[in-house]
Amino acid sequence: MPPEPVVLAFDTSAAHCAAALLLPGGRIVQRSEAMQKGQAERLLPLLEEVLAEGGIGWKDVTALGVGVGPGNFTGIRIAVAAARGLALGLGVPAHGVTRFEALALDLPRPLAVVEDARHGDVYLQEFWPEPDAARITELSSLPMETGDVPLVGSAAEPAAALTGGAVLGARYPLAEAIARIAATRGPGVARPAPFYLRAADAAPPADPPPVILDA
Amino acid sequence: MHRLTVLGIESSCDDTAAAVVRLDAGQAPQILSSVVSGQTDLHAPFGGVVPELAARAHAERVDLCVEEALTQAGTDLNGIDAIAVTAGPGLIGGVLAGVMCAKGLAAATGLPLVGVNHLAGHALTPRLTDGLGFPYLMLLVSGGHCQFLIVRGEEDFTRIGGSIDDAPGEAFDKVAKLLGLPQPGGPSVEREAEQGDRRRFALPRPLLDRPGCDMSFSGLKTAVLRERDKILAEKGGLTRADRADLCAGFQAAVTDVLAEKTRRAIGDYLDLRPHAPSLAVAGGVAANTTIRARLETVAADLGLGFVAPPLSLCTDNAAMIAWAGIERFRHGARDGQDLVARPRWPLDSTAPALIGSGKKGAKA
Repeated sequence: MPPEPVVLAFDTSAAHCAAALLLPGGRIVQRSEAMQKGQAERLLPLLEEVLAEGGIGWKDVTALGVGVGPGNFTGIRIAVAAARGLALGLGVPAHGVTRFEALALDLPRPLAVVEDARHGDVYLQEFWPEPDAARITELSSLPMETGDVPLVGSAAEPAAALTGGAVLGARYPLAEAIARIAATRGPGVARPAPFYLRAADAAPPADPPPVILDA
Repeated sequence: MHRLTVLGIESSCDDTAAAVVRLDAGQAPQILSSVVSGQTDLHAPFGGVVPELAARAHAERVDLCVEEALTQAGTDLNGIDAIAVTAGPGLIGGVLAGVMCAKGLAAATGLPLVGVNHLAGHALTPRLTDGLGFPYLMLLVSGGHCQFLIVRGEEDFTRIGGSIDDAPGEAFDKVAKLLGLPQPGGPSVEREAEQGDRRRFALPRPLLDRPGCDMSFSGLKTAVLRERDKILAEKGGLTRADRADLCAGFQAAVTDVLAEKTRRAIGDYLDLRPHAPSLAVAGGVAANTTIRARLETVAADLGLGFVAPPLSLCTDNAAMIAWAGIERFRHGARDGQDLVARPRWPLDSTAPALIGSGKKGAKA
């Protein structure tokens, strides 16, 4: 029997800095601090505080879990870059967990996770129970796409008003859910990568290059 | 300390880089590895670096570059004494990716963390490559920066002038774009200029009539645009000769401005009566053969030694960050996990701001 995993998970994909430590025997230590900015300075000290509260050090961690979004682009990258640095330094795997997987954890199926994507859009993924493709869609098109399945997520209330689906609360705080999911994953995974769903805002130049007459 | 081996990380613009540099007491520093993963292809369709695309690429490449740099250096993290990382100035999304990866590595290994100013990395490179002594005059001239610095110590820089708008490298890129030449503009404009007549177009030499060492390149680019549009209005397109002549005229104007302002900067610098007066150049524009030759001539005329690091150490790289980290570290500098990634961070905070002097302060 391998020793029980010790998983340190964290998320900075929105206006918070959240961390959870899953210890042998199922004990959980966690913290979530609301903050608009400053996650890049707060994250590592917060993780060290959580480890200290759990009575362990960095070398005891056997796996990392990181929230990869969708969410605030900069916030996601802060957590993902830190997770990659920690994984390399500790020699342990880092597992990327999406917000959809985290919110859907241990809730009944079928289920639709709907997160506010602003401008009348939502990030959407259904678990019917098999996960459908995660995507961005208009809030108003939800009745057609998801029917009246139960809903969870930051856009669940407005979505339910349109679809008639029941609104559920997430079973666990975000970082704890990420830790629990990471604990179920095997080694040898791909490195965590941000899960953006929205393309970068970049347009090709408007003015065309001049014609070269004797090219 | 008899031996210092430092890992450097750089991600402030469109190159993700990691390097390992070693200093043995009493010996010249050694670059054990220097890995640079560029993003030129990623940004090419947009005619300039797109910050969000750059940030996305850095976040998924920094750790890969670190691994590669350690492998090429024949070591692992156990063989490293400190981690140096660019903490600004630059595109903040990229800087953050490097800083967070460095913080993760430092927390995991217990290694000390040293935040480095990207400009200090460039400015201290002549000490890495040529062991230059203080004080020396540095012209940092790249795609994002253009300034004259008197380098008096590892953390002691006096800025005596610089561009008040575009950096010359940026002007080269924009001119290339105007003329339908590939990016990066520096090499493609230089190649065209070789076949061109630099006297055909009368382009301005901005700010040459004003005292001091400040420069401006934005108007020069606009002047090129006007000449181009005149030709387009006349013939509906450019001939290859037109294009080559515009490139040659533009490059000549940039060269004249840099040469004359360098002459003036040298005057200020010589007032310090340095023992072995030296002019060092860094930045991608210093790779331009015409510009480099003129600067070398100016330095020689005034009795200065001339130091230009090899191109791979002139453009963005992490060896210079590791080296600047060594320079700071051996003087006791350490940063904590609260190290802040900064988009704006002038090397000389006492000199008046050249650009970006709004409420957020000077940019660089």
